[in-house]
Amino acid sequence: MTTPKISVLKVHDVLLVTVPPDPDDATMATLQAEVLQAMEKCRPKGLMLDISTVETLDSFFARTVTETSRMVSLMGGRTVIAGMRSSVAITATQLGLSLGCTMTALNVDRALDLLNHTPQRRQRP
Amino acid sequence: MKDPCKGRVRIRSENDIVVARRTVRDAATQMAFGLTDVTRIVTAASELARNVFQYAGDGVMHWTAVDRNSSVGIELTFEDNGPGFSDIEQAMQRGYSTSNGLGLGLPGVKRLMDELEIVSQPGNGAKVTARKWVRK
Repeated sequence: MTTPKISVLKVHDVLLVTVPPDPDDATMATLQAEVLQAMEKCRPKGLMLDISTVETLDSFFARTVTETSRMVSLMGGRTVIAGMRSSVAITATQLGLSLGCTMTALNVDRALDLLNHTPQRRQRP
Repeated sequence: MKDPCKGRVRIRSENDIVVARRTVRDAATQMAFGLTDVTRIVTAASELARNVFQYAGDGVMHWTAVDRNSSVGIELTFEDNGPGFSDIEQAMQRGYSTSNGLGLGLPGVKRLMDELEIVSQPGNGAKVTARKWVRK
């Protein structure tokens, strides 16, 4: 099986990454590395992670996302997780997962609003 | 001919965790579980498969369609010959983990599934069985 390619798009002043539906560990590690590279290269104000197609959010996924968000925060950016499905939210809560202090939004539109209207460095690093 | 009511996935790489998830998703969807229950079952399978890979490095997942007292459900078993559980009660406590996981594996899985049974001898591997019944 080949690892799906992650595309990091720069839209205005933020990065947009669409997480594939069923990412394996290697894909999540690639995502983290590419996001951090793009943070350095493009100097955006933040990152939007679109997880609207993600069907399974397990503890490894949650840990990678929380870690990535913390790294982005250390670099001076903010992360918004957008579009979590209701079935995934129910499951993640029952499993006991948390995404730390990462911001969340209903969809990418609202995530963009959030990034544009939140003062810099609101998050704890 | 392939029996559509059961299946087996060998777990010995990170990628096999994804294969286990997909196999369980297909099976649970075929068995008329609702979307949220499918997500619960697949997420539980992902956590248990990761446990096998992380602690034992090699193991097997079996899934079977089961029925009991006119209820139908899915049974997942994860078997390995790894170090086993030194203390099952401790492993079932929230926040307990001996590897670099988040320590919410087993108690979390128990909340997602209807039944969870662990048979293990320290040093002699483990067998974890999880069941979920289709709601009528």
